[in-house]
Amino acid sequence: MKNEGETAQRPDNTAFTQQRLPAWQPILSAGIVIPGFLVIGLAFIGIGVGLFLTSQTIQVLEMDYTGVATDSSCFRCSMTSSQNCTCEITFSLDKLFTGPVFFYYGLSNYYQNFRKYGVSLDYYQLSGDTQYFTSPQSVCSPYSYDNQNRPIVPCGAIANSMFNDTFELYQIINGTKNLVPLDGKGIAWWTDYNIKYRNPSFVNGSLANAFAGTVKPINWPKPAYDLDSTDPNNNGFLNQDFLVWMRRAALPQFRKLYRRITEGNYAAGLPAGNYSMTVHYNYPVLTFDGRKKVVFSNVSWMGGRNDFLGIAYLVVGSLCVVMSIIMLIVYAKFKFSDDDA
Amino acid sequence: MTGSTTENGIKWEVRANGRDFHQSCRRRSVLCIRWGRYADNVVRSYKYTPLTFFPLNLYEQFQRAANLFFLLIVILQCVPVIATIPWYTTMLPLLIVLFVRGCKDLATDVGRRRSDAQINRRPCDILTPEGFKTVKWKDVCVGDILRVHKDQVIPADLLLLCSTEPYSLCYVETADIDGETNLKFRQALTVTHTELNGDSTEQNLAAFDAIVRCEEPNGNLHSFRGEFHWKGERHLLGTDHLLLRGTVLRNTDYAYGLTIYTGSDSKILQNCGRLKLKKTHVEILLNKTVLVILLFMLTTALLLAIGAGIFEYRISPNYDVVSIVQRDSSPAYQGFLTFWGYIILLSPSMPMSLYITFEVIHMVHCLLIGWDVEMYWEDTNCPAHARTTTLNEELGQVGHLLSDKTGTLTQNRLLFRQCFIAGHIYGDISQKSKPLDLSWNRFSCGGLKFSDQRLVDKLRGRGSLECQEFFTALALCHTVMSEWKDGLPHYQAASPDEEALVCAARELGWVFLSRTRDTLTISEMGLTRNYQLLALLDFTSKRRRMSVLVRSPGGQLKLYSKGADIVILERLQKDWPLQESTDRALELFAQSCLRTLCVAVRPVPEALWTEWSRALNLAGTATGNQETLLEEIYDQMEKDLMLLGVTAIEDRLQEGVPETIASLRRAGVKVWVLTGDKTETAVNVGYACKLMDPDTTLIQGEELRQLLESPSPNVDVKSKEPEVWITDKKAVMSKAALVISGPELAELTKSSEWGAKFVALSGQCQSVLCCRVTPAQKAEVVEMVRKHSASITMAIGDGANDVNMIKTAHIGVGLCGVEGSQAVLNADFALAQFSFLRKLLLVHGHWSYYRISILLRYFLYKTTAFALVHTWYSFYNGFSAQPMYESWYISLFTTTYTSLPIQCTGIFEQDISARSCLCWPEIYSIGQKKQLFNPSVLASTLLYSFYSSIIFFFVPMGILQYSALDFQTLAITIETSVLFATTLEVILCTKYWTKWNVAAVIFSLAAFFLSTLALHSTRLFTASPKDYFFLGASQNAYSTPEVWLTIFVTTCVAVLPSITTRALGVVLANPNKHKIHSSANEPVELQSWFQRGTVQRRSSYAVSQGKGFGKLITTGVGLPSAAPRQDGRVTAESLKNESPQGLHIEMNRAGVSC
Repeated sequence: MKNEGETAQRPDNTAFTQQRLPAWQPILSAGIVIPGFLVIGLAFIGIGVGLFLTSQTIQVLEMDYTGVATDSSCFRCSMTSSQNCTCEITFSLDKLFTGPVFFYYGLSNYYQNFRKYGVSLDYYQLSGDTQYFTSPQSVCSPYSYDNQNRPIVPCGAIANSMFNDTFELYQIINGTKNLVPLDGKGIAWWTDYNIKYRNPSFVNGSLANAFAGTVKPINWPKPAYDLDSTDPNNNGFLNQDFLVWMRRAALPQFRKLYRRITEGNYAAGLPAGNYSMTVHYNYPVLTFDGRKKVVFSNVSWMGGRNDFLGIAYLVVGSLCVVMSIIMLIVYAKFKFSDDDA
Repeated sequence: MTGSTTENGIKWEVRANGRDFHQSCRRRSVLCIRWGRYADNVVRSYKYTPLTFFPLNLYEQFQRAANLFFLLIVILQCVPVIATIPWYTTMLPLLIVLFVRGCKDLATDVGRRRSDAQINRRPCDILTPEGFKTVKWKDVCVGDILRVHKDQVIPADLLLLCSTEPYSLCYVETADIDGETNLKFRQALTVTHTELNGDSTEQNLAAFDAIVRCEEPNGNLHSFRGEFHWKGERHLLGTDHLLLRGTVLRNTDYAYGLTIYTGSDSKILQNCGRLKLKKTHVEILLNKTVLVILLFMLTTALLLAIGAGIFEYRISPNYDVVSIVQRDSSPAYQGFLTFWGYIILLSPSMPMSLYITFEVIHMVHCLLIGWDVEMYWEDTNCPAHARTTTLNEELGQVGHLLSDKTGTLTQNRLLFRQCFIAGHIYGDISQKSKPLDLSWNRFSCGGLKFSDQRLVDKLRGRGSLECQEFFTALALCHTVMSEWKDGLPHYQAASPDEEALVCAARELGWVFLSRTRDTLTISEMGLTRNYQLLALLDFTSKRRRMSVLVRSPGGQLKLYSKGADIVILERLQKDWPLQESTDRALELFAQSCLRTLCVAVRPVPEALWTEWSRALNLAGTATGNQETLLEEIYDQMEKDLMLLGVTAIEDRLQEGVPETIASLRRAGVKVWVLTGDKTETAVNVGYACKLMDPDTTLIQGEELRQLLESPSPNVDVKSKEPEVWITDKKAVMSKAALVISGPELAELTKSSEWGAKFVALSGQCQSVLCCRVTPAQKAEVVEMVRKHSASITMAIGDGANDVNMIKTAHIGVGLCGVEGSQAVLNADFALAQFSFLRKLLLVHGHWSYYRISILLRYFLYKTTAFALVHTWYSFYNGFSAQPMYESWYISLFTTTYTSLPIQCTGIFEQDISARSCLCWPEIYSIGQKKQLFNPSVLASTLLYSFYSSIIFFFVPMGILQYSALDFQTLAITIETSVLFATTLEVILCTKYWTKWNVAAVIFSLAAFFLSTLALHSTRLFTASPKDYFFLGASQNAYSTPEVWLTIFVTTCVAVLPSITTRALGVVLANPNKHKIHSSANEPVELQSWFQRGTVQRRSSYAVSQGKGFGKLITTGVGLPSAAPRQDGRVTAESLKNESPQGLHIEMNRAGVSC
């Protein structure tokens, strides 16, 4: 065997083969670890305090309008199955609600993150590929075809279950209702609006014709090309409310942006006073014990109100400080006992 | 002939020159079906053929539970109803794993084929109708007649027919079979010798048509039964007619043999056990852990499935959005589907890529072993080589090292170093002394490691009668045979000691020239003298001495004796002179670990000789208890001796052996020596290589038996620390070594209770020496240690006789010795020197163990923490098996985002530098005690990953639940947190930061961000919206400060326990470290024992396990001018007389003719 390879088999004497690569070997000592913990802890506490205080400045107004209680104004709507029920919610602000104000609707006990629900949509269809208008993908079923076997566009459970309550906000000044203008533009993600969702190309100059041969989702009152009668550009798959709904929530309790209040007299926020909100109550949630609410909130640099974030930082920081103290005690004890010995 | 022995078992029939007959019965096999009788002479250790590689290799790979599991997962993923994540998430990693593994297997098999081919290609001469023709080994067939020439390896088991030596004797070296380097005799049947030899051997052989009936092929090296039918006569065959495959023909020009067993039928290959796949303890524990994870996963999936069923039953019906997508199936059915969905989802918690990483790291560690310059041996151009690439971490856990002696600990070169003559000690053992000028001696061949000009001067000046007499004794009193080569005498001896002594005498001018049956010719300082050999009182291990009775040319009768000091000294004349200085000399030699023999002389009066020879003749013809009778008679002659001197022989150890053993002992490794050699030699070597201290007591024989038999109530075999020996023998035992011989061992291994006791007992002792053990027994010892102790066993050896034990031990190490490569071929690691073990174990082993432990722990943490997040999410998504992550992240997380940093750590990590590892062998005990990878460590790792997974989910969820962020943002937040935390964890694990580690960390993070951006890019979305629907999610998420704040805090909380434990370790370790360093000094005592203790003398005589050549010489067989032999046919009686060991040459049948 050894006579075969006549060339010397002497291994290379390199740093790598001899495992002598130059390396940095951090050597930790109590002198680094204990102050290190203390510094990290204090830093966390600092950030936590900052976050918590910021969060406290953010105003939030939440109102449940499901109408479970018999005395609530929407109780009537929650009981009936009629489609065109409206109810009114009044509230008052005792100080300026600083703008820009974000207007959310919230649902709870609603499983938008249910897996089969979540996959029930056809991305090809939603990107405007008319080939999939006539034959939606099977993931959409049972919302692919109606009972006359006509294809549903947009297909799938998510689209079908689109939230369709609408709200109008009035400020009551001296008994008259002043409509607060709600801005529904740009509430969806830029990528969704510009890339992910595409309307089919117009047929004979009309979006409606592009949807010819398809039916609207079963639960929808109006077809997709007619979602917003006020703004023809806010129709089809590029309807902002539709886009917001299609971006499904992570948890069964969620809120979605409905409108922003940025215009006119209300650009600086909602002044103190009485307000009334008219709810077009269409979306049934009581069957599954769900709740609906509206939320007004303003934002800071860190987003919406979020006390938990600040608290999390504070807790971690305190833990680190406590640990550093414990370690100091342990170290001192060991050190002294060692000296005694 | 005598006896009608058509016994059972004699079914193997071989027809000489019957190639056609045997070819027709050749054993063949297709798949697993075999037929035919005779194997061909081809060695096939390879596994695959081009045709079978694919199916066979895939079959083997899918026998690994992990691979099979993932195959099932892939299949499950192809079922649309339950495919929670797309099929490629599992398929890609699986394919990579299969491919890498397949390549590795292929490379190994090609290597095996190559080495097989090398053996099969060796040439040999075979008799064909056209005369002898050189063919390859693989073409040899049963029934062929082979011609083997000098120094050739015998290609198959042959029946010796005749040889060019007188009486068709031939000499073989069996080093590859039993490790003994002395020559053995084989002799042909008289009938074949007389009929076949002559001027026309070739024609005679061509016409040879005998039939041999013998045993079926078996692995018993030392027995062979058969009958030889030729010309209507039947002769019995025994083991000394057989030339075994693998032995080497020596001192014989040509030998002719009939092929009996070929290839896999041959004795040596029958002895090779089946190739067993070795698994390390760590791997076994890992597999168990994976099994636990699997069970945990199944339970979790089951519970979640039940949750899904309940959800389906209680909530869904009211919830038309969900119930309609579920298509009105029953809750139970939904639960069933969800179960499989969760199995798929949780499958990443099974560390599939761990197995492949494990293998890659093992391979790199093996390469590093091969690349180590300090384990490269210049002389033979031989680097270390790891042949098995799965055992590295076990190198760091070895508890028992079982070593062969000859060729492993010793060089098997005995050197005459010192002598004591008439009150003077000549020679010194320092290495530096310059060699003597021996040009005056025309017979000098060199090789003498003795340098004392005084002695040479005295010898040349004929000044000292004692010195002359001493060397005359050395030149006469032996059983060495001489052979002339280039005008110089070369010696063949049964005992390497004798050879060393006769060689030393030759170098110093007393040259043994030749012998016949009755004479010895020596040259004394150029003066040739003939001594008449009257009697040879041969060596036996019981007598421990040998003597020759000669008549000098001057007519005086003299008895020269040599032997172990005890036996010689007690036979000296009363009140012999120099008693004190002799004792001192013996002590001095013993301290230098030299082996001593006393040489003595006795002038014998003629009258005594006449009387004694009559008694001897009487005894020779006596029946019955001949041996005891002879012993008594010998004893009468060997008395009233006069001491001539003492020889001191060094059994040359391999370089660095004592240091290595001392180092290993400090590391807590129990070193056992298993040797086929005799007890005295083994004990001597044991002392010499610091296996035992000079004052160590030996417990052997009856004493050992009593210890083992003592049914003390304190002995609890089950508990690892038996107390019986602690009570009164504690002090003794800590300085004791067990010595046990083969036959005793055979008894011991019979009952498991004794084995357990023995192993427990050995734990209290310094060492264990097993002498005169057969290859099979070596393996049994290893098996016994494996069975009765929890420690890892390592066997090291160099010869074919060590193959069994090398295979049986957890780790087998073969030394690339001068002898054959059998040991290396069967070993897991091949080294050039025993001393390299130190670096292999203490540095490579320790590092491997450390690195692999970290690697495994990290992997388990990573994968389980990663996968468990899905579980927590289930409680918020109606148990719908909704994945928490993007599917691409699932498939890339383990393979790309987190694999490189830990691999770098697994390759480069060093907790302690190589120097420190060697300086403080005590550190090695970390591995022996399995401190870094044991069930409790694993449990804490899993607990930690459990904790981390909770943090990974609940902290981001808690923070983001009040915001309007969507599912994809939450997914990205959690993905990034998981990645950061796992990367931070590997950063915490790494203590040795090379540039590669830094690069790997940066690369992994960069890979994550870049691939995330790429996967969420417009281009890929437009290509396939279905697979890349996270379009824009990362851009949106990463531009939100809230997400970053969440990621940061989540990461910190997740690794906080790890940081805290490490910090506490740092704080607490400081005082402890101090203690370790102070305790490291203790073993230095080892050195002082050496000086302090009372030194026991060791005097012995190393002869092969049987008797010497004495009988052969006195009967004159194989010697020129000997009397014609008597009837040499085998008789039934002589077969019965064969000694049980069957090892030595039985020459009885010629009868004692003195």
